Amino acid sequence: MKPILITGTGVVSAIGLGKTETLEALLNGRSGVGPLQYLKTGHKEFPVGEVKLTDAEMRARLGIADDAITTRTALMGMLALEEALQDAGLTPDMLPNVGFISGTTVGGMDMSEQFYLDYINSEVHKEYIAAHDCGSCTEMTAQHFGKFAFVTTLSTACSSAANAIILGANMIRCGKADIVVVGGSECITKFHLNGFNSLMILDTDPCRPFDATRNGLNLGEGAAYLVLESEESAQRRGVKAQALLSGYGNACDAYHQTASSPDGEGAYRAMKEALELAEIQPFEIDYINAHGTGTPNNDVSESQAMKRLFRENVPPVSSTKPFTGHTTSASGSIEAVFCILALQHGFLPVNLNWSQPMEDGIVPVSQATKKELKHVLCNAFGFGGNDSSLLLSRPETAKHKTRDEVLSRVPRPEVPCLYVLSAKQISLQQPLSEKWMQEPIMYDTPFARSIDPSFKNYISPIEARRMGKILKRAVATSKEALKTSGLDTVDAIITGTGYGCIENTEFFLDALSNDGEQLLKPTYFMQSTHNTISSLVAIQTKNHSYNVTYAHKGISFDSALQDAWWQFQLGKIDSALVGGHDEMTETFYHILKKGGVMGKDEERCGEAAVSVVLSTSRHCEEGSHPELQPLCKLSGFHMLHQPTMNTLMDAVATMLQSAGKSLADVDFILTGMSGDHNNDAAYLQETKTLFGDKPLLQYKHLFGESFTSSGIGLYVAAQCLKKGRVPTSLFVKPDEVSDKQPKCILLYNRSDRKNCSLTLLED
Amino acid sequence: MDELIYTLKQQIIEALNLEDMKPEDIDENASLFGEGLGLDSIDALELIVLMEKNYGIKLKDPSQGKEIFKSVAVMADFIQKNRTK
Repeated sequence: MKPILITGTGVVSAIGLGKTETLEALLNGRSGVGPLQYLKTGHKEFPVGEVKLTDAEMRARLGIADDAITTRTALMGMLALEEALQDAGLTPDMLPNVGFISGTTVGGMDMSEQFYLDYINSEVHKEYIAAHDCGSCTEMTAQHFGKFAFVTTLSTACSSAANAIILGANMIRCGKADIVVVGGSECITKFHLNGFNSLMILDTDPCRPFDATRNGLNLGEGAAYLVLESEESAQRRGVKAQALLSGYGNACDAYHQTASSPDGEGAYRAMKEALELAEIQPFEIDYINAHGTGTPNNDVSESQAMKRLFRENVPPVSSTKPFTGHTTSASGSIEAVFCILALQHGFLPVNLNWSQPMEDGIVPVSQATKKELKHVLCNAFGFGGNDSSLLLSRPETAKHKTRDEVLSRVPRPEVPCLYVLSAKQISLQQPLSEKWMQEPIMYDTPFARSIDPSFKNYISPIEARRMGKILKRAVATSKEALKTSGLDTVDAIITGTGYGCIENTEFFLDALSNDGEQLLKPTYFMQSTHNTISSLVAIQTKNHSYNVTYAHKGISFDSALQDAWWQFQLGKIDSALVGGHDEMTETFYHILKKGGVMGKDEERCGEAAVSVVLSTSRHCEEGSHPELQPLCKLSGFHMLHQPTMNTLMDAVATMLQSAGKSLADVDFILTGMSGDHNNDAAYLQETKTLFGDKPLLQYKHLFGESFTSSGIGLYVAAQCLKKGRVPTSLFVKPDEVSDKQPKCILLYNRSDRKNCSLTLLED
Repeated sequence: MDELIYTLKQQIIEALNLEDMKPEDIDENASLFGEGLGLDSIDALELIVLMEKNYGIKLKDPSQGKEIFKSVAVMADFIQKNRTK
């Protein structure tokens, strides 16, 4: 690939605020891990790497009022983002052309764990409810600086920030943005400190990665952002690269939900892919910043992966987690900034606290060493085996391709020709069927307490023991969609979920709030991370390919589809399983309604479980699977952040033009009207301006509203196109009901006032 | 002892959420992990929580579980000898 420039960086962690303090600590071996100081918890026995500021001190630095709603994750994110934007010379007026992609898993849990019982029992603190989810944290961080062109949130546990960097790079390579700010933020919470404790992987001493006596990790916190920029844009702006992103890889270990495989399959594949994409040989790598958590399991697995790839010539390796603690979702970008500092200042960061070699392990860098570095790898691995590796290089290493080399790589067509091979959903108590087309479901309770037992066709009772309803549905719909797609395997598994496994989150919060910090069940914690869904699907289908999860409010499914779309466009994948999964519980329904997040007016709060298999024409038309019978074509997709009528009109026009269509070809507009009066009124007004008198359809009155229900919208439209009719129950206005055969349906998802998406489907 | 074994089986079914299982379905001498019931490291952690909650036994090191959780019978024997409640 053509390297992407990194023109700005910002970082906050236990070793300092900003790059100057960070560099000084790295060079002098000054660790930020120590006794617990800021988090309110009874677990004083665990050393942690806290950012040395209270929330109030962070607010003061950022000029945020004491009573403004914010979270520690958002505050740390703002501190790091401020430095990155200044570093790159980006001013607020430029942000409408800049993307912002952030990774977090904790989101606003620091507030939710304090106020959980208030959320349930009183009206106090209810204004924090809407700040609970990951996407809200990202938006709070972004809004402090202005209006970005594109905003979304990756949530793949400890590799979240690394995957945000990968998405940003794909976005630039597709030509969708010149500048994207990428990274992640995560504060320590009582929730995940207790969660890691329930997994018995926290060390009561400072962590010792790759040491024979290592006995677990120390938790840390922090944030870091990188400004990724195309070469043309940097030239235009007259800014220099601090380093290059030359390659990256993402693979799934597909082994276990919390443990890494003994041979480090996912880690090996991720590093190998990064090298291949960069066209760099293993011997050219000068340093690896390992994930190196200090748990017995990670360090064995990662050592094996490095030995498999580099054989007897493993380059110098260190884990910088003894400096910062494990900064979980932010570690990918924090450690990428450490790597950039190492490239700029020519040194190998030391692996503190190491003294005894472990059996079959690598021997890390045990003292800070001056060394000129050209290419370095930075690893970040997450629960569920969501493994990613970034290849960072010094700016002068950019290879200047000859004209012939450039021409020999024919870029893919602007719009990929995609097919929806299959789409499966389970809604409410309904089994996997298309019955809704004949008899619309009417229900008293919009979400299910138990689910249809059809999942048992796909999951054995012993496998189901740790799966809540969301996981059962996700695995069942994914397996069914794969089976009916006709494909044996897919090149990517991409999932969207607004709130993730909230049933397990609720169980864990209940126990934490009512019984205290003792005897917490590890199952509830491990099943509470958002990426559990996608990684479990990979484990169940033995799929090692690209695997990520998006958690960004009402555009979580859309973000997953956007990721797939860009990768299709880059020619990285030929098929993908894209899922949208959300569940609801009585307690969270009550909480979210109180917080004004959903359930306004006549809006029915529902659940989503939809899995869609997409494929390029290569599979369908070029003979490898001539028997495939696609449901429909996916001809266009576009996402907008804080749209205006003008940007929306432009987006519609561009999308139709790229697909070779005009508005006259569109038969129906499928809206996400949900019963929220204000939002529905805006839908009616906007669709009139955008699409004139096109007949309007809706589906949320049947399926309910959930954060990923736009996936259900895609499913509904695909079924209508395949069956060649639109059920009467979908028409918004009785006088628009017709038996016209649909040839082209445009989905307009306007999830809230901040985000929307457009999807064009044809028969 | 038989009573403890039966109770323990019920507690295991509940703690591990083995939905379709009854105490009679578990052979107290069969291996809980690997070939037998097919449990894994997370289940072992759940069993550690179970022992602490119901019998007041604290395991500091998860690797101790390997011996103790060999089978329901071995586990019951360990509980009988070490229980504090």
